[in-house]
Amino acid sequence: MSKTITIDPVTRVEGHGRVTIHLDDEGNVDETFFHIVEFRGFERFIQGHPYWQAPNLVQRLCGICPVSHHLAAAKAIDQIVGIDPKDLSTGATKLRRLLHYAQIFQSHALHFFYLASPDLLFGVDAPPEKRNVVGVAVENRDLAVKGITMRKFGQELIKALAGKKIHGTLAVPGGVYKSLKAEERDTFLNGKQFSNIDTMIKWSQEMVDFMKDYHTKNREFLDTFAAFPSGHLGTVKPDGALELYDGKLRAIDFKGNSTLPDVEPDDYLEYFSEAVAKWSYMKFPYLKSVGRKEGWNRVGPLARMNICDYISTPLAEKARREYFEFTGSSVNNSTMYSHWARLIETLHCAELMKELLLDQDILNEDDLVREGNERRVGIGIIEAPRGTLTHHYEVDDKGMIVRCNLIVSTTHNNDAMNEAVKWVANNVISREKTITEGMLNQVEVAIRAYDPCLSCATQAMGKMPLKAELYDHEGSLIGEKTKN
Amino acid sequence: MRTLLIGIGNGSRGDDALGWLFLNEIEEKDPQKFDMEYRYQLQVEDADMISQYERVLFVDATEELIPKGFAIKKCEPARSYYFSSHVQSPETVLYLCKTLYRTAPEAFVIAIKGYRWELGEPLSNEASEHLEKALKLFRTSELYKQTQVKEIQTEELF
Repeated sequence: MSKTITIDPVTRVEGHGRVTIHLDDEGNVDETFFHIVEFRGFERFIQGHPYWQAPNLVQRLCGICPVSHHLAAAKAIDQIVGIDPKDLSTGATKLRRLLHYAQIFQSHALHFFYLASPDLLFGVDAPPEKRNVVGVAVENRDLAVKGITMRKFGQELIKALAGKKIHGTLAVPGGVYKSLKAEERDTFLNGKQFSNIDTMIKWSQEMVDFMKDYHTKNREFLDTFAAFPSGHLGTVKPDGALELYDGKLRAIDFKGNSTLPDVEPDDYLEYFSEAVAKWSYMKFPYLKSVGRKEGWNRVGPLARMNICDYISTPLAEKARREYFEFTGSSVNNSTMYSHWARLIETLHCAELMKELLLDQDILNEDDLVREGNERRVGIGIIEAPRGTLTHHYEVDDKGMIVRCNLIVSTTHNNDAMNEAVKWVANNVISREKTITEGMLNQVEVAIRAYDPCLSCATQAMGKMPLKAELYDHEGSLIGEKTKN
Repeated sequence: MRTLLIGIGNGSRGDDALGWLFLNEIEEKDPQKFDMEYRYQLQVEDADMISQYERVLFVDATEELIPKGFAIKKCEPARSYYFSSHVQSPETVLYLCKTLYRTAPEAFVIAIKGYRWELGEPLSNEASEHLEKALKLFRTSELYKQTQVKEIQTEELF
């Protein structure tokens, strides 16, 4: 008898989702779906609000990466007041960048230590009561303390810049409302109140080394688990270096051939379209030139390692080169390498934070806000921790928002996560007589590698648990797994 | 005794504001007495924060039926884990604190009964009464007087 497996909720991801795996009479996988079943709200209810409210309102759609939404919206709203990124003052740009790097640093630390490391340390088949951050705390105290401290460092820097760890405010239309005071800055350099930036760099380096060691011992797993070809999308500097705050859009196919050659972010609508599916509230962005079927792209750390020519900071660049020496290719299509790529970015952000903390421009109280000629349209694109994030606003002659389009990082990874689920279903669950918890966790491991923020992706309102269901060929539910 | 009050809840969701309102009242009447933190949910890194204190009081609204409308309970470390990264129980945070930092503050949970939780709703009259009672009794308790008592049993609080 055919059947359907349900995993609900998918655990250790930001937000909630549901997986269904449909099997035929012989237990072969027929179809798989990663459902996001939430109401989508922010694009709509931001309409009618004055433009200057957008950076503060939209960040409320997430408690993990509000800074990313704050800054993407701020870049878009800058344009509404006539300020392009090149027109922003040096101090304001550097302060925003510092905030951005602190956000990526703390978000990546959270994902690796709290969400991903239990699978790597204990194995995907470990008992669920052990396979979590409490288990890491008990058996790997040093790692857990470092993880918490790294996240704390990023959050404290966000608080110093934006007033609060979560949902604070730094950016205003055309700039920032404050600079950093010398005594605030020194807190992150002298290490008197908490571990300083040099320690963050050292620990980030250690985490990269941990991953290299893990790779040596588990190479086949990393190479093959949920590996599949796809496009990759991210932003780069004019010289091809990885750029997280303000770069040009670049995409390549699974072999490294260009599918989007370093275009201006403002032109994104010329190149991208979004498809919808009746079984998910999350959209499916794709490159128009390639088409819906093969035009979707992975975004985030794995994609960014693939699309950039180099990284501008020395330690992260060294780590990137070692990463590709191991993978033996200029394009890595293996899902599990996302973890390694994420740790290289963590190191990169630590190095960038140090550069900026030592830069006197972040202390400058002058020229924080600029004005230009008002416009009706503003587009802001940044690389959020989980990938390319687009905010697009249009306003009327009174400055009220009349249209909003958000393409959130996790949305770009929608197809990739569905492919990852299908891979696990085909390679782990198909034709198995008994479906174990460990097998189902492997579905979650595949999704988790993308660090999806499901609340962001649907601009969620309310709860979003993840559920897995197993259906027979007649559509009858014969098994399910729910985590609330 | 260095004491931290942690209010847990959401000021925009009806009676879920009880934890924050409790802290607001304490802050207004006696602003220097306690360190205070406001949280939507407890998170893993809160273990680091509470490790700096000798005593921690978690104040939260509850759906559970409580005879007096509020209760003060001793909080003990417990190894449990919620699947999300950003919702942990006071017991788990205390457990993480003890495991990671080799110390655990004396901890209590102040639970106040609430009734409605929807976005934009005001505090219910019943919850408001429970809040007043909880504040009144808390202010007469040993916890409020900041005694140096190392171990306070729940029944000795009032």
